[in-house]
Amino acid sequence: MKLQETKTITKPTESETLITVENVSKKFCRDLKKSLFYGVKDICTDLTGGRRRSDTLRTGEFWALDNISFDLKQGEALGLVGANGAGKSTLLRILSGLIKPDTGSVKVRGRLAPLIALGAGFNPILTGRENIYANMAILGLPTQQIEEKFEDVVEFAEISEAIDAPVQTYSSGMAARLGFACAIHVEPEILLIDEVLAVGDVRFKLKCHQRLAELKKQGTAFILVSHTPYIVLNACERSIYLNQGKLIGAGETEQIIQKYEQDLRLSGEGTATGLTILPQKPEAESLGLDMLALFFRNQDQEIVEAPQTGEPAYLCIKCKAHEAIADIDLRFKINYLSGENKQVLDIMSVNDNTSLNAPEGIFEVQMYMPCCTFIEGVYTAKVYVKKGMLSFDLVPSFRFRVDCKVNISRCAFYQPRSWHILADEKGQSWQEIERYKENLILQKGE
Amino acid sequence: MTKFAPRPLAQNIYTPESILRHPKRLFTRMWYDLLASRELAWRLMVRDISAQYRQSVLGVAWAFIPPLVMAAGFTLAGEAQVINIGRTDIPYPAYVMFSTALWQTFVDAVNGPVTAVTKAKPMLARVNFPREAIILAKVGEVFFNFAIKLILIIGIFIWYRIAITWTIILAPVALIHLIVFGTFIGTLLSPLGVLYDDVARGLTMATGFWLFLTPVVYSVPESGLFGALVQLNPVTPLLVTTRELATTGIVSEPVSFWIVSLLTWIGLFLTWIAFRIAIPYVIERVSS
Repeated sequence: MKLQETKTITKPTESETLITVENVSKKFCRDLKKSLFYGVKDICTDLTGGRRRSDTLRTGEFWALDNISFDLKQGEALGLVGANGAGKSTLLRILSGLIKPDTGSVKVRGRLAPLIALGAGFNPILTGRENIYANMAILGLPTQQIEEKFEDVVEFAEISEAIDAPVQTYSSGMAARLGFACAIHVEPEILLIDEVLAVGDVRFKLKCHQRLAELKKQGTAFILVSHTPYIVLNACERSIYLNQGKLIGAGETEQIIQKYEQDLRLSGEGTATGLTILPQKPEAESLGLDMLALFFRNQDQEIVEAPQTGEPAYLCIKCKAHEAIADIDLRFKINYLSGENKQVLDIMSVNDNTSLNAPEGIFEVQMYMPCCTFIEGVYTAKVYVKKGMLSFDLVPSFRFRVDCKVNISRCAFYQPRSWHILADEKGQSWQEIERYKENLILQKGE
Repeated sequence: MTKFAPRPLAQNIYTPESILRHPKRLFTRMWYDLLASRELAWRLMVRDISAQYRQSVLGVAWAFIPPLVMAAGFTLAGEAQVINIGRTDIPYPAYVMFSTALWQTFVDAVNGPVTAVTKAKPMLARVNFPREAIILAKVGEVFFNFAIKLILIIGIFIWYRIAITWTIILAPVALIHLIVFGTFIGTLLSPLGVLYDDVARGLTMATGFWLFLTPVVYSVPESGLFGALVQLNPVTPLLVTTRELATTGIVSEPVSFWIVSLLTWIGLFLTWIAFRIAIPYVIERVSS
């Protein structure tokens, strides 16, 4: 009973502010030698109690964080989104007190723990058991509490049979699970989660998310950093969006993520005009067939700047052949530049059972796309014209943009579709399902 | 249910200002961090000591091998009159082995903080824990390793039938000063050692040279430029006093011993402050 009482007392009535960040900036230097030298200089100034004049940039420095302010309340989950190098990790390190801000101030109430995938201070030679003790001690837990939680940690990490084996014999997944289990059982007031939910298999990830949800209910506050918008969307009500050290937006996660996704897709837009005209090759260098231009047409065969998501389009290649060539092969390798520069398509005309015969002179090859399923953003295509092993011509990067008028938020591609409702008055389609099911059972029986 | 035990929320404020401007806050924090780091230091020490010999065939024997090799080498060189070693209070091989064990302990104490902080770099860059723990764990390890060497030393004393006096119970005091002096030097260099590899390289060289300026394989020289240099070497009174307390019982340089000891403790305290101030700047310059 007594415990229950203290619970209601100490669990603060309504959302106490745990973190207050006011006008925080941080500068860094990309030149290693200079950076180290500045470090020594800063130490010396600080040791003599002098003022570092930290609010001005020295040569070679830039603002890794620029005038950031926000706060975090108890039981709240704050998402932190932004591209690589936006300053997310720097911000987390300042919040942890690992590095000092160059301007402004940070106030942190309560114990703060980072959630690190691979445990800090894991020694590969030692056993899992010894490492749990060392790792949790580093995270600030007294021995008695480690002993209390030991069984839970092992169970959560699912490594009970390997607990007395050296960590260097663990698979990377096991080591990650162990690190995660240690961190999550420290139960701090504030948890900093930096991209770590990307490790482990799907089932373990799910377990972690459940556990985080439980902690959140108990009043733990989170700051979650992720490149994957849907994780932030699921876990956080509020988010802040950093870009090159600047706070672009703060507010409801839904809106912030939308803004972030939009910016991601449109990055590098200016350089994609949709029409690429290639320099003419002198005849001596030509291998018999040259590409002259690459562009798109809409369904009315008009040249357009960018194809539209969901609409038909033609991808066109103007070519010039010095003589007629039978059975040429075209290949497109397309990367999505606005995202993580992943290859999204590899199309070879030879795989489509078409025979393309190039006439002598200038001609245009058209690839008809009944529906452009690309989402908006900038793409780059590597274009080859070949015949068997012989390569006639190659364009290393044809950059183009795809525009979008339909809603494709949080989609990886556009799925062309139409919707219907079928009435089933006589129960015919239900009988069809029954028949199909019986068939399946029969097949299995055999 | 322990989670809901009343726990006052500690508040931390991080600003660009130098902490030296708030000495009262600095000293309170230092005191609390020292208290908080004891348990962690113990954990880290246990971790490092258990890992120390696990990937080694000879294991603990590594504590004995260097003094034995040193003694064998210098005894041979001395008998062949290649080097002039002077007169020693106790049989020469015992003298070298005992002194080498002490010298090695000192070098361990110097190297300890530098290697420990460098090795803990990923940990330092990700988790905010009392940094004192790293140093304390290393000091503990140095004492542990000396305890192992003690087996050898006791063996030597019995083998050579070296007479001991009651002063041997004071020898640990001098030994502690020797280790504290090493720790002071090592801690002072450790932040710089994370930034520049030169420190670790230079340290190996410097300790090699330092050995020749310390009466480890020869007795304390009385005169000459070399003698003056050896006298000025702060390790000399610490090491010699430890040795004398453990053997003859007659301390030849009590004054310089106390001067060096006093400077050691003051230096260690100032270094501690400098270390705390320097670490955030060091972490800033290394990637996590």
